[in-house]
Amino acid sequence: MITRSTPVYRVEVRLRPEFADAEGQAALALLHGCGLYAARELRSGKVYEIRATFNMSQVQQAARELLCDGVTQEWKVLNPGPPHFNGMSHWRVEVWPKPSVTDPAGETVRTALSENGLPQPEWVRVGSVYHITGKCHRNQLERAVWRSLANPLIHRVSVTEAHQ
Amino acid sequence: MKETQQTLVMSQPAVPPREAEGSDFASFNSLSPKELKSLSDKQLWSLNESELSAVQAHFKSIGRPPTRAEIETIAQTWSEHCKHKTFRSPIRYTEGKKTRLIKSLFEETIAKATKQAMKPWCLSVFKDNAGIVSFGKNGRWALAYKVETHNHPCAIEPYGGAETGVGGVIRDVLGAGLGAKPVLNTDIFCFARPDYDAPLPENALHPKRVLRSVVAGVRDYGNRMGIPTAAGAIWFDDDFRLNPLVFVGTVGVMPSWAVKKEIRPGDLIVAVGGPTGRDGLHGATFSSASLEDAPTSAVQIGHAINEKKLLDALLEARDRRLYGFATDCGAGGFSSAIGEMAAVCGGAEVKLDAAHIKALDLAPWELWLSESQERMVLAVSPKNLKALKDVFAAESCGLSVLGEFTNSRKLRVHYKDQKIVELDLKFLHHGVPLVERSAVWQPETPKASSSKAPRKSASEVLREALGHLNVCSREWVIRQYDHEVQGGMVIKPLQGVRHDGPGDACVIWPHAATGDFEDFSGFAVGHGINPSYGKVDPYRMALACADEALRNLLCVGADVTAAAFLDNFCWASPEDPRQLGALVRAAQGCHDAAVGFGVPFISGKDSLYNQSKDLGGKDLPIPGTVLISALAPLSDVRKALTMDIKGPGNPLYLIGWTSEELGGSLYNQICGLSGGEAPEVEVRSAADSFKAASAAIQKGLVLSAHDLSEGGLAVAAAEMAFSGEFGVRLDLDAMARSNHIYSNEVLLFSESPSRVLLEVKPECEQALLKGLKGVPVRRIGVTLANPILKVIGLDGMVTMEEPLSALKEIWQASLPKRCR
Amino acid sequence: MKKPKVLILRSAGTNCDFETANALRFVGAEPRRVHVNEIKSGKTRLMNFDMLVIPGGFSYGDDVGAGRILANQVRLYLKDLRQFIRLGRPVMGICNGFQVLVKAGILPCSNTCEQTAGFTFNDSGRFEARWVHVRINTQSSSLFFKGLPEMIELPVAHAEGKLVLKSPRQLEELKKNKTIAMQYVSDDGKLSGYPFNPNGSIFNIAALSNPEGNCLGMMPHPERFTSIHHHPNWTRQTFHKEGVGLAMFRNAVDYCR
Repeated sequence: MITRSTPVYRVEVRLRPEFADAEGQAALALLHGCGLYAARELRSGKVYEIRATFNMSQVQQAARELLCDGVTQEWKVLNPGPPHFNGMSHWRVEVWPKPSVTDPAGETVRTALSENGLPQPEWVRVGSVYHITGKCHRNQLERAVWRSLANPLIHRVSVTEAHQ
Repeated sequence: MKETQQTLVMSQPAVPPREAEGSDFASFNSLSPKELKSLSDKQLWSLNESELSAVQAHFKSIGRPPTRAEIETIAQTWSEHCKHKTFRSPIRYTEGKKTRLIKSLFEETIAKATKQAMKPWCLSVFKDNAGIVSFGKNGRWALAYKVETHNHPCAIEPYGGAETGVGGVIRDVLGAGLGAKPVLNTDIFCFARPDYDAPLPENALHPKRVLRSVVAGVRDYGNRMGIPTAAGAIWFDDDFRLNPLVFVGTVGVMPSWAVKKEIRPGDLIVAVGGPTGRDGLHGATFSSASLEDAPTSAVQIGHAINEKKLLDALLEARDRRLYGFATDCGAGGFSSAIGEMAAVCGGAEVKLDAAHIKALDLAPWELWLSESQERMVLAVSPKNLKALKDVFAAESCGLSVLGEFTNSRKLRVHYKDQKIVELDLKFLHHGVPLVERSAVWQPETPKASSSKAPRKSASEVLREALGHLNVCSREWVIRQYDHEVQGGMVIKPLQGVRHDGPGDACVIWPHAATGDFEDFSGFAVGHGINPSYGKVDPYRMALACADEALRNLLCVGADVTAAAFLDNFCWASPEDPRQLGALVRAAQGCHDAAVGFGVPFISGKDSLYNQSKDLGGKDLPIPGTVLISALAPLSDVRKALTMDIKGPGNPLYLIGWTSEELGGSLYNQICGLSGGEAPEVEVRSAADSFKAASAAIQKGLVLSAHDLSEGGLAVAAAEMAFSGEFGVRLDLDAMARSNHIYSNEVLLFSESPSRVLLEVKPECEQALLKGLKGVPVRRIGVTLANPILKVIGLDGMVTMEEPLSALKEIWQASLPKRCR
Repeated sequence: MKKPKVLILRSAGTNCDFETANALRFVGAEPRRVHVNEIKSGKTRLMNFDMLVIPGGFSYGDDVGAGRILANQVRLYLKDLRQFIRLGRPVMGICNGFQVLVKAGILPCSNTCEQTAGFTFNDSGRFEARWVHVRINTQSSSLFFKGLPEMIELPVAHAEGKLVLKSPRQLEELKKNKTIAMQYVSDDGKLSGYPFNPNGSIFNIAALSNPEGNCLGMMPHPERFTSIHHHPNWTRQTFHKEGVGLAMFRNAVDYCR
């Protein structure tokens, strides 16, 4: 049963480092197109936000069996609180559809999860995450993201700097 | 991240206070006109004073105030988007010194011409959600074709706007007759240059962003739907920087028995497809307002897979004949779809309780008006309901019963025990007061094109022309579309040795829809669009567009004598008499094209108010734009033709007459010239030459054909040559031309309409000339083994000799370079 | 003559099922388009068919990853698929169907039934539709290639077509087993880069087979080259008798007889 206290889990999925990230390259080219040449590298991924009466092993099952490709991708369940990074000048950008905006991928995942014998989540939202390396200024980065990867009418963006 | 979760909850749209339905506007009937107008503006109804007072008078006469749901229903039904008021209202039109009253622009131009040019194979014209013509061996099949615009949504959220535009026009075709299977999508865009670098207003998206996102939206939706996107055009002009134009079209195939649709009283109202949320409220009224007033709820994201499920289930149910009528939920959602169906049947009793919803806090009027995508409404005889439910369940596609159709002459809508709408159908559909507008067209005496010797050589102009955004290769876009899904693409959009030349049109052999490998019937679609000519004269623009669309069809071997037109007008504000005057001119051009070519219009749409406040607060109107789409059958797709030169030593024939027509031309733009005549189509003689050329192609006399458009003869010859990787030698003195032309450049770059360049089999020259008796046609050159474009000028000297590889490289590099 | 029964597996988003059915019907089979829901409910059973085709499309929108969710359903509801293959019945996965076979652990064939390969985004970063040259592995035991020339042309259309392997060693194994069924090549038959290799696949792999040769997964679309009039250059040259795609379907259907 879904109740007020139903937890929200966040699972991040991205390509394993040994594989070239063509989608990430395309996103980086767009940022460069907006003048953000300080961004040197970019790795992209997806974040699944799942509100469901899962326990932790069910979350892991969902990630392993459905959200993540066993060969090309890796996943982790994100802890509450600011994400942890190593290294310098590393930015984490998340782009989410606003809650009132249709999220087709979220709906698909919600249905698919219950096929694997998991309780059907209340909702699932799918966001994009970009890990950016480079000495960017926050303002420039935010501006470039809004100009190329997100639209304020339908998206919400969070930008987090690694060493803060 | 904890923060995210909180933000998520916080940014939920505030739930509007639920006013009790029915008493929302208790004082409505006693408001003054001024108060009414301010209420309307606040509520985003986009109703004008006379409409508001008509509504007030109606409710006074029945002695009660309207409910919110009622006014919203009226507002959307009477919106420009649904009622096309500009085309149907009286216009006082002044041209030069003469003024006359046009009672209805639509009736006096498009509709009148179509009545005159009507053909027995037109099965449904301007009635259904799409135009329908007969198709295939023995008329077993029918083609439904519709072209829509989604300009305003694409200006503010180009990806979602393009997706939902494609989704909407696909449902138009699914809702034509009892539903046609979509077999081709078309896309035509007008943008500012992607490398536009002047400042833009604060909230305007950059043209490059708009272009990339619109292409991505069309790609992702079309590809997921499994419909090839294979025909279109892109026009670049910086005046589209605030209001891009996005035209999307769909052609569908259905069995001819499925053209007829009917509703009987007692039939159930069945909603199918995705669930209803708060998406796109006020979309219809929004399209009647200018962009600055956009409410954020007007933005939508498509859900292609929901639409694919709907398509699969609907066509299965159609073939089992489980419903009698289908229509799509577009602007206005249920209110519009069920409202229109009620008008067909004579009444409806709607119960919204059973509707599938995805937003729990939806007020009943929102549920009634919501424009959530991927939904359609069917009329179903109660005895078929069980079987219909099974078909939709098998595809995991939603279905809910929302009441029944009646003959009460009323549209009644209930939610739980509330009655939220009770409207008289006659008032709803015919009560809108039409306002007379004035329109002015001031013909300018064309200034002669500057006669100074051009500063650029013919070679320089050709190179610039090939790299020009309105000419260069569209491969970057086309490859992103799955243009071969359904396995019917017999003539592809990219043609030639290396599959990268600019085809005039694509040819579809829709066996995936007919299941018939033995019937080689196919069809082609072509387009004409040129806002530059419209800046000189909208009348000539419309004619030139119709002419070009037909030549596109001709060049792939389609039967132009059985062609049909679709019109799409995109204009700035019709409140401006000069804008409206130009629109009248363009509509007259459409009329004369249809009558002159004998080609009926089968469907059309208009999108007005395409203007926005630029930096400095001044309105920037778009250039008035007409898109003419044309559809024509091929009785045997194996006789189709491509535009690439097929071999050396073949004669080249030019059909058509060349005059000095450089007004609005690419040549003028490149050389910085202004003035001059816009190309003028001699419709009757053009029709004769197309007919004769079409017959010659049918006889197999022609190896390749290409139409002459922007950049004239030089560009067309270069494209044919580098696509086929054979050279071309042209002799300008052999051209059929006006006597006073003494310039090689004019002959090479003039954009005189109705011209087609043909590569002919050497042994067929006599037969060709015999078939083209009476048509201006000259042998103007020959194909070469040497890969060059060589032009002999009027003085007998070589005026140009260019290697094809260099020309092709310029032509190919231009768009990808600027979209990066 | 016997009409082999072919199951064409579909789901929400499958979109090459009609043309695939047409091609199969044309070469004498009796194709049936079956929604995976019908298998799930037990209404239709795979074992009652002679051949299986998983056609192209965007199953479930390719959300999560191309073919991922349908692959999951294949694991859950088509439990007898491995048995079906072991019995020697032909199985074909085209484009999205190939992605499904790989993600369901059917191809490349492994003892553990684990997924050992995957697909990532095209190197170009874009969905791309184009005709490519592919070289058929003449040493492969695939039943689909009988009588075909070594070099053929077929169209591809995908965004996630770059085949990658779990470990580099695997490539040697695939070569040894002769299970690399097709490779992208340039027009002169050499292994070349973009655009000849449209996605950047490892070792230019375009198709994989099982060692027995009755299960084939391929990115190119044979159902889009059934008539010579599908070839982009049919208006220039007429050296084909029929589309090579049709021959592949005919081989499979003849094999079932």
